Amino acid sequence: MSHAHAITTPHSEALSATATGIPSGKLAMWVFLASEVMFFTGLIGAYIILRMSHLAWPGDEGHLSVPIGTLNTLVLLCSSATIVLSLSAAERRQVPAARNWLLATIVLGCLFLGIKGYEYHAKFSHHIYPSTNIFWSCYFAMTAFHALHVIGGIIFNVWVMLYTFSPKLWTSRGHRLELAGLYWHFVDIVWIFLFPLVYLL
Amino acid sequence: MTVAQHSSNKTYIVIWVWLMALVLAGVGIAELHISKTAIVATVLVLSTIKAFLVAMHYMHLKTDRRMLAFVLIAPFILVALALCVVFSSRLIQL
Repeated sequence: MSHAHAITTPHSEALSATATGIPSGKLAMWVFLASEVMFFTGLIGAYIILRMSHLAWPGDEGHLSVPIGTLNTLVLLCSSATIVLSLSAAERRQVPAARNWLLATIVLGCLFLGIKGYEYHAKFSHHIYPSTNIFWSCYFAMTAFHALHVIGGIIFNVWVMLYTFSPKLWTSRGHRLELAGLYWHFVDIVWIFLFPLVYLL
Repeated sequence: MTVAQHSSNKTYIVIWVWLMALVLAGVGIAELHISKTAIVATVLVLSTIKAFLVAMHYMHLKTDRRMLAFVLIAPFILVALALCVVFSSRLIQL
């Protein structure tokens, strides 16, 4: 199977000279993501078990806006596309284009958080809190932990975007764009499962 | 110096269109007046397809070393085993 490095620079080529043939940072990110799978599975698994234990779920007080949830899902999927296009531009050594696509990803991530904040505000204004019932406890726990990961991803993306302003830093650390992309796509995948479980089913 | 490419931008855009369409399809199916079991099964299959598309094309598992796929698959095997235990105990109670 062929192995393609995202951004081929002298530094990244040196980094890939490992026993596995995989750059250490990239392998570490995948192992980290594997641990994150276990983390979110614990949350989602608990949600499924609790839901199966309740005949009426989420009940009369458990209304969520499907259109808003759908919009947020589409926003996050768009951000996955923009960050992979950023990586593609970086592979072609088009640094300004990579920066712009990364900026678009950051903006979309912030938009996702803004919409989620709007949803939270609407619930709080109706006196709905995590302590209201078991459904809302699960809802806030899962979506808040996911939102924290989105915030982490945005910070990572901003950090990598700053490298694009310095040719020296970009040459030595630009390969981290691929790591930021992997993390961002994982956050997207988590939402791909959270959205139907919480909003649709 | 040659620059290795993962996929073309056209592929990324096509995958994006599919992802958007699958999301809207899932929302539409969830609104249908059919059995709840069919809706749950269909929507979760659609989610799995979306996650597969993202992992294979956007995370480049399709072209990267197979070892990375094993790193990701390992927790899923553990998760599947854990869920089997949980659901088997639930079925016993029923």
